[in-house]
Amino acid sequence: MKWLELLSVAGATLVAAVSVVVLYALGVRLTAIAGDVQGSPAAWIRPLSYVCFGFCGLAVLFGLWLIVPYFHH
Amino acid sequence: MVALVILLALFFDFTNGFHDTANAMATPIATGAIKPKTAVALAAVLNLVGAFLSTEVAKTVSGGIIKEGSDGVQITPDIIFAGLMGAILWNMITWLKGLPSSSSHALFGGLIGAAIAGIGIHSINFESILQKVILPAVFAPIIAGGVAYLCTRLAYALTSRHDPETGDKLTQKRGGFRNGQVFTSSLVALAHGTNDAQKTMGIITLVLISAGTQPAGSGPQWWVITACALAIAIGTYAGGWRIIRTMGSGLTEVKPAQGFAAETSTASAILASSHLGFALSTTQVASGSVIGSGMGCRGTTVRWGTAGRIAVGWLFTLPAAGIVGALTALLVQTGVIGVVIAAVVGTAAVAYMFVHSRKSPVGHDNAVQIEEVGQAVQFPKKKKSAGKAVKNGGAKR
Repeated sequence: MKWLELLSVAGATLVAAVSVVVLYALGVRLTAIAGDVQGSPAAWIRPLSYVCFGFCGLAVLFGLWLIVPYFHH
Repeated sequence: MVALVILLALFFDFTNGFHDTANAMATPIATGAIKPKTAVALAAVLNLVGAFLSTEVAKTVSGGIIKEGSDGVQITPDIIFAGLMGAILWNMITWLKGLPSSSSHALFGGLIGAAIAGIGIHSINFESILQKVILPAVFAPIIAGGVAYLCTRLAYALTSRHDPETGDKLTQKRGGFRNGQVFTSSLVALAHGTNDAQKTMGIITLVLISAGTQPAGSGPQWWVITACALAIAIGTYAGGWRIIRTMGSGLTEVKPAQGFAAETSTASAILASSHLGFALSTTQVASGSVIGSGMGCRGTTVRWGTAGRIAVGWLFTLPAAGIVGALTALLVQTGVIGVVIAAVVGTAAVAYMFVHSRKSPVGHDNAVQIEEVGQAVQFPKKKKSAGKAVKNGGAKR
């Protein structure tokens, strides 16, 4: 039985999904703060949200790299 | 016989496509991130592209479940024919019932049944069944569900906004998750195309090799690749709306943050499983993610009745497809007449199920009641409309 493989699949899934979701959720939250009308939000908030989304974009690109066999065969 | 097997394999590819549209596209359709028709078109294109990306086919039909190869038994086109018949009929039945179930497990079931009836029980590698079918079916929903649960909790915790002084809830502004859903579900669709079209290519290529029209060890011919890619894309575009309904609104009401968490977990699990050597079924991963994200969201109920029906469907996948495969294998053994009878009965059964499905059509227009909740909508109203949707959904069943 391939218990080790199973465990590594579970671990990788957890790490990947949690980091993407945390980053994206932070991005969503920062966008929401930056869009608040009352209480002028700090200027760095919106760029920071773009950074969060940018990392998510990188994760998607890494996913593409994994999917397309051409890149790693 | 070879031509018949190729036709049947392509039809299996088609059912595979429409069975699995829901895995990628049910949650974005349910949250309104993508319009239903656009979603299936996107999934179809990505499946088509995916099919062309990966054309390195497997060396064996069953991936080791049947002891095939030089020192094992010979899988004849007859066995493959019978196995495909079992898989297709099971796919059609589960589609009619709106149950997401794994197409590859159905194919394994059909082949196992056909091999037992056609060759004998010694041809089956039972340890391989445990490892490739039963354990994944248990662990896929647990892993995906657990991760999706955690992700949903995190997504909600990170985006819940309260007024620091009064403690009142502010506008939550979680609509941004919809944009993310487009990307994560596209990844799932693309991964599906690279994995699943390849299976049919493998079957057709192995049949062609066994018929002597192609040298052993060679890859699939261009027309095989094209036909398989088109079959899975057309199937995806046809969209198994019944299954989309189950996954999108039958298990739980999916909201954007949930949908994003679920799709991210699905995509991560599929990519991890296909690269770290423990194959998990896309369908089972996706169903688990949806249930997990439903559990992770407060105020959302998971309809365990529906989840139970899906689980029962998974339990029956192997035996049911196996019995059909076995019966077909016995029929085919009797000669040409048996093959004709099997083909006619199979076609009739598929046609009957299709006609039966027309009595209560489920299409892009009524598959999922999309909750059009804009970003500006306040929470109380949202809750009320969610409650209404639950009632409607309950009345339908």
